[in-house]
Amino acid sequence: MKPKTNSNLLFLYTKMKQTFFLVIAVIITLAACKIKKENQSANSYGDDVLQSVIADADSLKTFAFVEAHVEEIKKTLQNALPVMLCGDTLNEQQKLAQTTALADTVFTANVKNKENNQPYRNEIFAVYPARESDLANVKGTASITNTYRVEMYNYPLNLTSIAIVNTVQQRVLAVYTQAQTQPDIPLYLKNIAIKIAIESPEVQVAYGIKPSEKEALMASTKTALNRTRCERSRHLCVAPTFVKDGKALWAVVDLTDYKLVGVRWTNVGTTGEVASPITERKLQDDKITACFCEKETVLDKQGWKMNYMLTSSDGLRIAQVSFNGKPVLQSAKLVDWHVSYSGTDGFGYSDAVGCPYFSQAAVIAFEPPKILSLKDDNNIETGFVLEQVFKSEQWPKPCNYNYRQRFEFYKDGRFRVAAASIGRGCGNDGTYRPVFRIAFAEEQNNFAEWNGNSWANWQNEKWQLQQATTAYTAQGYQYEFTNKNAEGYFMQPGNGNFNDGGRGDNAYVYVTKNKLVPDEGEADLVTIGPCCNTDYHQGPEKFIEPAPDDIQNTKLVLWYVAQLKNDDSKGREYCWAESVLQNGVYVTKPYPCFCGPMFIPIPGKK
Amino acid sequence: MNNKLFILKQPAGKTVMGIKSVLSKIIAVACIFFLFTISACKEQEVVFENNDCKAQPPFIKSIGFNPGKSAFSTSEKKIKGLLLIQINANGDTSNGGRKTYQHPSWAMGGWLGPIQIDKAGNCFVAPVPVINLIDNPVAKQNIIYKVAAATGEMQKFAELPVTDSSINTNPFGIIGLAYLCETNTLYAASVQGSSRKEEKGFIYAIDAASGKIVDKVSGVDAFGMGISYSSGSRQLYFGSARSSDVFAITLSKEGKFSGKPIPAFSINNLGPRGDDKVRKIKFDKTGKLQAIAIEFNYNLTAPTEKQENIYTFMWNEQEKRWVLVE
Repeated sequence: MKPKTNSNLLFLYTKMKQTFFLVIAVIITLAACKIKKENQSANSYGDDVLQSVIADADSLKTFAFVEAHVEEIKKTLQNALPVMLCGDTLNEQQKLAQTTALADTVFTANVKNKENNQPYRNEIFAVYPARESDLANVKGTASITNTYRVEMYNYPLNLTSIAIVNTVQQRVLAVYTQAQTQPDIPLYLKNIAIKIAIESPEVQVAYGIKPSEKEALMASTKTALNRTRCERSRHLCVAPTFVKDGKALWAVVDLTDYKLVGVRWTNVGTTGEVASPITERKLQDDKITACFCEKETVLDKQGWKMNYMLTSSDGLRIAQVSFNGKPVLQSAKLVDWHVSYSGTDGFGYSDAVGCPYFSQAAVIAFEPPKILSLKDDNNIETGFVLEQVFKSEQWPKPCNYNYRQRFEFYKDGRFRVAAASIGRGCGNDGTYRPVFRIAFAEEQNNFAEWNGNSWANWQNEKWQLQQATTAYTAQGYQYEFTNKNAEGYFMQPGNGNFNDGGRGDNAYVYVTKNKLVPDEGEADLVTIGPCCNTDYHQGPEKFIEPAPDDIQNTKLVLWYVAQLKNDDSKGREYCWAESVLQNGVYVTKPYPCFCGPMFIPIPGKK
Repeated sequence: MNNKLFILKQPAGKTVMGIKSVLSKIIAVACIFFLFTISACKEQEVVFENNDCKAQPPFIKSIGFNPGKSAFSTSEKKIKGLLLIQINANGDTSNGGRKTYQHPSWAMGGWLGPIQIDKAGNCFVAPVPVINLIDNPVAKQNIIYKVAAATGEMQKFAELPVTDSSINTNPFGIIGLAYLCETNTLYAASVQGSSRKEEKGFIYAIDAASGKIVDKVSGVDAFGMGISYSSGSRQLYFGSARSSDVFAITLSKEGKFSGKPIPAFSINNLGPRGDDKVRKIKFDKTGKLQAIAIEFNYNLTAPTEKQENIYTFMWNEQEKRWVLVE
């Protein structure tokens, strides 16, 4: 295969992203989870959770009124001292305190990346007259008169720096920092937060009408700017809250990225406050649990019909899949991710992916499944994708993971079961082995491999490794599933042929008889295999050995274990992710390694 | 997650402890009788009063380790089970500055979490899964293991009842242990069988000599536990595994539960996450309570950065409540 450059890969990924348009993700999140009250048990989530909305993390929505501010940020980042001055009105003494603080090298010690001198996004949030308690950090005696407290926020490090300044002496008396802490935001940022909230369609839909800015800011509407947390992104977040009919609508707004995180109603207590704020994580986990972990969702689109839900440990599971009324799959899911590192013998992890609460998952879902449109190079819609992301909260930091599970359904009856790792893992010597379980619906199935000349039937349960010597048909097919009418599916493994950046799967394929008793994986499976086996002992073999069953004219399960070696070398990144500074804050550069087989319908003898 | 390092304490003689036990009771009664405040009855006067009687397991010396510089750990990233670590003279616990020991039996329970040592030097541990259930099957999550003080051999000590084996979403069983010196009682908190919709956990009081369950509290998912002497009686404090609340339940002189758990305080909205759960409770000699809290959602995520915060509370006698001091 011709080596690909970094730019080629980026191009591929960008192109791939462009082909999957975000068409109805918001509609899905809004409408996917409507449960009638009478069906709720005592411990079911209420309407507040069911009707909450998680804004699409990949949304490209921007707000025109933020653009001027973003330009100002970009300009500031060009300065020798990349710190935006306080956006609120300051008197002369406060301005002097601000200038004095910014001349202090201890106070400004963290305004740039110490390794590469790249500027961070910093901003003075406030300059207050000092309080007695502020002098506790001052060595020796100090007077509170003419002393100010200057608060600076570092967005990418989520760090607050505080300087205590005497303006008469024009001297910094003390400096201290507070990690993972955010100061109170200035008034102009409060106004931006409220504006983002009221301009967001998700807020308008939830509120019923678009609240005007004037209304939102009026005391009579009891709009409040509550403190909240974005525990996962570690961004600066606040929650404009709109009260209506005795309930409060929380809009969590991310002021690092200037976007809406999500919205959720809460009951207003007698004191007008709720016990716990609605935070990013609470909003996400409750919604995912209520709508996707504790109930199935029906999907009926382009001739395809199925149910899907998130499992405790087997990722996103689709079931009762049919195409134009004909059963295709009993179910398909992603059982495990086995990650081994060659640098240390036996070192690695066996990760299950699944729900955020009460689950056996090590890497969890905190965004809803998305349904995306699938288009070809000519921008013609050819089908759709059902996609789920699972992430470690601190990804892409080392030893944190991001897995993407994807089901592609085409209008012509083809379908693909796919997944990708987006790093970053614990090293650059890792091999990812996702374990797919695909149970076919056909009751009288047979399985055959292409031997270079013809289709050779498999008599009994068996496994096989895709390798350099593997034979494929002219179309790239390796296996076929057929019933007695010779109807069924060809299977085309990943060979770098799906235009998604994948470099080939080198996959172990196992075919087993679909048994109900004892269950061989139709129900949620605990981790099926250890991290670090490099041979066929990935877990499914336990349903074959020691006595393989006959698999003639029976219901079959295909297990597919791709093997993906990660790479961090420049221009060859694969199963990898990096944090890069962009406009003074960290953004993630992903290098996914997609894998998984395509299934192509065989029309049969008709 | 809730695996830990358990520093051993220098031993106290058995006879001396017996005398101290009697003395402690006399002092306690005297304090109450004269209507002294609880804070006046400082617990550091009596060993049993601060419930710290753990003894050195004799086997440690026999394997050439210095008991005063040794600690049990269940939180080694690449070593499953229990590990004995001897730190070097200047307290260096890094790999270069320490020596370690693992008895062949110490991995029998898979990955482990809470540790308690009794007054004879026996060490009790319970399994807690890490990342996955390969070494910690759900069916074995309710077993307490005991490392014999004399031999260092680990054996199954007690198998707690399985509440609901049909729940496959909750990977945890025993997640908290505590020990009461006076009565030689081991308390075990198990959340086995609990689901998001039903709190089915138990706190068991177990005779540390026989392994027999002597009492239990039902319908409680407890996490970290600690025992204190306040308001004239023994209290078992426990953090909820489901919320940021901490409860207390009175213990009788036999170490059994008396009454129902009552709310003690909460760490709700505190710290960088605001919804941490208390995984460990410690009391110092001045009566301060330390609540060590982590993120916990009944899943197997394992953050690489330690998501732990420590909150210190002090009993306010006038307001009759625990007050956050730092």
